[in-house]
Amino acid sequence: MKRAFIAILSFILLLPIYQASEISTLEADGDVGYRQVELIWSTDSPTQEGTIFQIWMSNETIIETINATMHSQVTVGNTSGLIQPEIGEWYDDCTYNFGDGKWIPVYRDLDGTAVVPSETIGVNCTLTGIPPGIEIYLAVMVINPSNESILSPSISSSSTSSDEEIIVIETSPYIFAIGSIALSVIILLFILRWMDYREGKTTSRFAHIYIAPAILALSVLTFYPVLYGIWLSFTNADQSYLGDQSIIGIENFITVISTSGFFRVTGFTLLWSIVNVAAHIGFGLLLAMALNSNDLRGRSAYRTALLLPWAIPSYISVLVWRGLYEPAGALNDFLGTDLNLLADPNGARIVVILVNIWLGIPFMMMSISGALQALPKDMYEAAEVDGINKFSRFFYLTLPNLKSALVPLSLLGFIWTFNMFNVIYLMTDGGPNLDFDGPGSTDILITYVYDVAFREGAYGVAAAWSVVIFLMLVVFSWTYMKKTNATEAVT
Amino acid sequence: MKVVVRRIISCFIVVIFLLSPGCLSSDGSTESDSNDSDIELTVWHSFAAESKEQATFESRIEVFMSSNPGVEVKISAIPYPEADQQFMIAAQGGEAPDIVRLSSDQLGKIGDIRVGGQPLLEDLRYHLTPIERSKFDPRALNAMKYEGELLGIPASQDCLSLLFNPILFDAAGVDYPDESWSLDDMLLAASTLTSGDVNGLALPVKDAYWWFGFQAGFGGSLFDQNGTPTLNSNGSSDSMDWMLDLELKHGVVQTGTNIESMKTQFLSSKAAMIIDGPWNWVTYEAGRIPLQQTVLPIVSDTGERVAPLVTYKGWSVSKQSLNKEWSTKLALFLSSSEVQKEFAIETYTMPTHIELYDDSDISDNIVISGFLEQLMQGTPAPTTRAMALVYDPLGTAFENVYTGEMTSSEALFLANQALESDLEGI
Repeated sequence: MKRAFIAILSFILLLPIYQASEISTLEADGDVGYRQVELIWSTDSPTQEGTIFQIWMSNETIIETINATMHSQVTVGNTSGLIQPEIGEWYDDCTYNFGDGKWIPVYRDLDGTAVVPSETIGVNCTLTGIPPGIEIYLAVMVINPSNESILSPSISSSSTSSDEEIIVIETSPYIFAIGSIALSVIILLFILRWMDYREGKTTSRFAHIYIAPAILALSVLTFYPVLYGIWLSFTNADQSYLGDQSIIGIENFITVISTSGFFRVTGFTLLWSIVNVAAHIGFGLLLAMALNSNDLRGRSAYRTALLLPWAIPSYISVLVWRGLYEPAGALNDFLGTDLNLLADPNGARIVVILVNIWLGIPFMMMSISGALQALPKDMYEAAEVDGINKFSRFFYLTLPNLKSALVPLSLLGFIWTFNMFNVIYLMTDGGPNLDFDGPGSTDILITYVYDVAFREGAYGVAAAWSVVIFLMLVVFSWTYMKKTNATEAVT
Repeated sequence: MKVVVRRIISCFIVVIFLLSPGCLSSDGSTESDSNDSDIELTVWHSFAAESKEQATFESRIEVFMSSNPGVEVKISAIPYPEADQQFMIAAQGGEAPDIVRLSSDQLGKIGDIRVGGQPLLEDLRYHLTPIERSKFDPRALNAMKYEGELLGIPASQDCLSLLFNPILFDAAGVDYPDESWSLDDMLLAASTLTSGDVNGLALPVKDAYWWFGFQAGFGGSLFDQNGTPTLNSNGSSDSMDWMLDLELKHGVVQTGTNIESMKTQFLSSKAAMIIDGPWNWVTYEAGRIPLQQTVLPIVSDTGERVAPLVTYKGWSVSKQSLNKEWSTKLALFLSSSEVQKEFAIETYTMPTHIELYDDSDISDNIVISGFLEQLMQGTPAPTTRAMALVYDPLGTAFENVYTGEMTSSEALFLANQALESDLEGI
């Protein structure tokens, strides 16, 4: 009897220790952030180790969990050795308290589950992944260490915060600028038309209308990009904060000049252009003269064959050339060597120049061939009658008469070659790169600008490089035309 | 008079015509998620054209659309190496797709980019419930985080491993490689297998991505715990020398082998071993190469295993998306265990879903389980801007050592300096 009394007494005394915790308060706030709801709950008694809080959500009142989705869970357990991220550091935020109103960030176990220490009374979790603008029901199920599950009444809430406002890129300034340029051109044409009318030039009545489309197209497609590029070169435009650029003066030009390989890349660009243009014109002239010879049979076939490099898309022929020069390529097979020309700075430079020479000859050959055919035949017949040898005929008749074609061709060839991008990009990508802070061994100005703009994302600096290239070409073209009287020769 | 009036009117019309586009600017307001009936999502993927990956992806998109009537998904393919660049350009023009497939190192490149002060990618922490998040390997999930923000949902992971052609091993009487192999064993076998036009090993000796694993095995590291570059360590220079010597000194790697040519060598049975990723397994199988795989060897000097860099690819949602809720649903679907399992079995794409690690279809597949074992030995690539910048100076360092311009220590010292300088400039 005494033993039975002690047992009953012990049971009654120990009963509060094993009393299952229940949710006593449950609150939700939907105005904490986009797709988030803050859920705060407290238990009627301090929680014990092994207790699990499961948060369930549903579109309807939760009576059973069968029609709900589990959102997350918080476990009550040993927190020693676990990380305790600060608020904002983890994927979602949860805090707990011991009933004293002091909220402490929860701990996280290896799989990221929130862990709170025993004796926790209140938990506050910002629930993520909540469908926005829809009323949802939330409930907390307490699974006590004895595996007894108690589901709280559900509470409704709605994530009312809207998404961040999307900033649409403001393109109107650019369109406005293009419109203004076009409008200025139209006004200019009207003024010129009016001036012609005032001076009595009635024959040119529609001339300005005829040239208007071309001028408009030029202004939008050429003048505007050039002007925009020049403006960009004075800004700190960068891919990291495009749209927020500001004027920084000539800082980008100082960067360009102080780039470690500036003089090297400029020097190689000049070498590349001069050697290529000289070879294009030299070989083009030689082949054009050979094709122009009356003694040559099957000229059309030769002409077609020599046009092939020009007819094949350049990226294909360049890739074929690259394959030939690679260590496992046909060149090594043919020579029985183990050369790796593209990995050697000088070897790579020679190779890219050779490939571009091969690519450029057909155009020069065809252009010079056309000019040769236009030369008067009787001039050569008279020279032959006078006993002038072929050598003298070439130097004293052919070359001077070809000047009107060769001067603009060489100028065009120089500008094109100076800005030839695809051969170097596809053959070596500017490499081999031996300079830690500058262009590669085979980089020319235009390929290096591509790296600066699209690999480094420094748009302002790349624009400054482009302006430098533009100035170089303007100065060269101007000097060349002055020295060679190119314009006069053409006219 | 009539002529003057006509001119004035024409001028006025021209002025209105030219200036009107500039005045009709957008008000910049946000549109909310539309009704299910008129939702259109654009997805940029980077699977190779006409590959099994693309076919699997397209079939899954069809499944998503059929289970969500009213949601139309438009897909576009972009080249994987340029995915980040193209996405940046599109976003800068306000034309970004809703969802894009990006790798963890690409997230490191664009994490800092701002257009009009806004980031390019949505922070998905607020879109996923903890239960949805907990289904993914924490390493993979962490790799999709950039400075605390979750910029993608991990859908796959990959790294390099050792593949070999058993027929060439049998012909040379060399034992197959296994997990007990050291680098010395590998070099000895490669030397024995190198004969005539067959090379013992195929790997691009100047490529930093292939070097990272060796660097870790030799005790080097890319960055310290604070993210400061540590390229100039003894382990780094030893591993660089070791890798370049495979071609320059031992001749077991063909001269000038690059990523493309190493594949060709292995496909044409001109290389007995190759260090390559699971992405090429289907190609080798299609080429009827009887290949096998094992984990990369152990470095005898350090006792550490070669630990290749593990990179992760996932689905990111654009900040500019007008349908973020549906975009996230689609991203979650494309990263779900069902889709990942199909990708794994069809294309040997390594999954990131924890439950798939124990799935019998996955663990019974010797290719997938072999690569998963290698992944567990690998080093997750840090998703940082520094990681994105490390390739350029390292490429220059390799070129200088390869051409004999510098020693590896000198080159790596300068590479480290260059990287630090680049990081200071950000």
